[in-house]
Order: sequence, then C-alpha cells, then structure tokens
Amino acid sequence: MTRAFAVTLNALSLYALTLVLAAAFGAQLVLHELPCPLCLLQRIQFAVLAIGPILNIRWGPRPSHYALSLLAAAAGAAFSTRQILLHIMPGDAGYGTALLGYHYYSLALIGFAAAIVLLAAMLLFDRQFEAKAATPQAAGAFATIAVWLVIGLTALNVVSTLLECGFGACAEDPVFYQLLQHAV
Amino acid sequence: MEFTALFLAVTIVMLVAWRGPRSLALTLFAVTLIASVATYLHHATDTLKLSF
Repeated sequence: MTRAFAVTLNALSLYALTLVLAAAFGAQLVLHELPCPLCLLQRIQFAVLAIGPILNIRWGPRPSHYALSLLAAAAGAAFSTRQILLHIMPGDAGYGTALLGYHYYSLALIGFAAAIVLLAAMLLFDRQFEAKAATPQAAGAFATIAVWLVIGLTALNVVSTLLECGFGACAEDPVFYQLLQHAV
Repeated sequence: MEFTALFLAVTIVMLVAWRGPRSLALTLFAVTLIASVATYLHHATDTLKLSF
C-alpha cells in the first residue's frame, strides 16, 4: 500500500466518522431524543477516533497515529459495552429508539469493533511508513474537506451539549435542553 | 458541563493536529483520552443487574 493510498483511506475514514456523528445528530434532532451521559461519551470517542487520521493526513501515516485511534476505539468499545450491560436484563426496553433492530449503543460497539479491526488491517501494510515526513504534508481537497467536516461536526456537538446540559451536571435521562428551558 | 468541556477539548486537539505542532497534538490527545476515561469512571457508579 503506497503512502498516497493510505492517506486517501484515512480521509475516507474521516468521512465515515462524519457520517456517524451526523447520524447521531440527525436522530437527536428528528426523533427529539437527547443523548444520555454515556451516549455523549461514546460520541466523544468517535470524535477522538478522528484525531489519528487527521495526523496521518498532515504528517503522513505513522504507526503511532494508528495507535492513538486504537486507544480511542478501545475506550469507546468499553463505554458502549457498559451501556449494553446496563440494559441486558430481560424485559428492559433499552435506552432510546432501536435503529435496524439495534440501539445506538449496540451500533456504537459494532462501530468501535469494526474500527479496531480496520486499524489493525491498516497496520499490516509497511510500505506506507517508509518515507517519514519531517514537515507537514500538503493535503488534497478530498482530505481537507473531510478534516473540516469532522472538526465542524465536533464543534457543533460543543454547542448542542452546552444547550442540553447547561452549566451543571447532565441529566441521567435528559428530555429537554437545559439552557433553552431557562431561556423560555 | 464536563461533556461540553470534553467536546471542546477534542475540537481543540483536532485543530492542533491539523494546524499545530505534532508533539503538542499528541500531548493534548493523551490529556483528552485520560479525561474521558476519568469522566466515564466517575459516572460508572450504577450497579450492573446482570441476568446470568
């Protein structure tokens, strides 16, 4: 796998993460289901997962950048497993709406597990690491748009979470936006 | 509030990774990851009612 191809795959992974963050946002806005604290933590881990690919695009692929994403995916998998276990009792309807038969936290675990497998697969290809860049690399439009999309969506989550939780602790089972409620 | 701060921290790390020095991005990444795990541990106080 050439260095350029690896960078393209990293940009594609950023588009995939953008899709995940946008879908979570879409469900929040369309279904009016506010994310719980554990749900927010899983969203945060999807955003943290994007830092490795951003570094790979700017500085060239390095094993250490993939390691960052592996750590983020492992933490995200642990968080979503915790939420699955909280709702594992027979008769428990789970938290939120099920999408394609799976609740968001189940889909999140599948996503983090897929990320771990894909990251391990990327690390199999040594050729991408041969020429280590000491200076930042120029990124094409495809990768640049991917980076700004994922940064933009994460920034939107800052605003959304501030509206939802306000300046205090986030509700365990949030049903309204704290800051908007106070504004009315 | 801590979740807003975490999202803000991740946004800053992303911007540093894209525009700033690499070593600073790696350091901020470590701080953010540790903070998110610490937040998780702080909130993981419910007893798990497992069915087996």
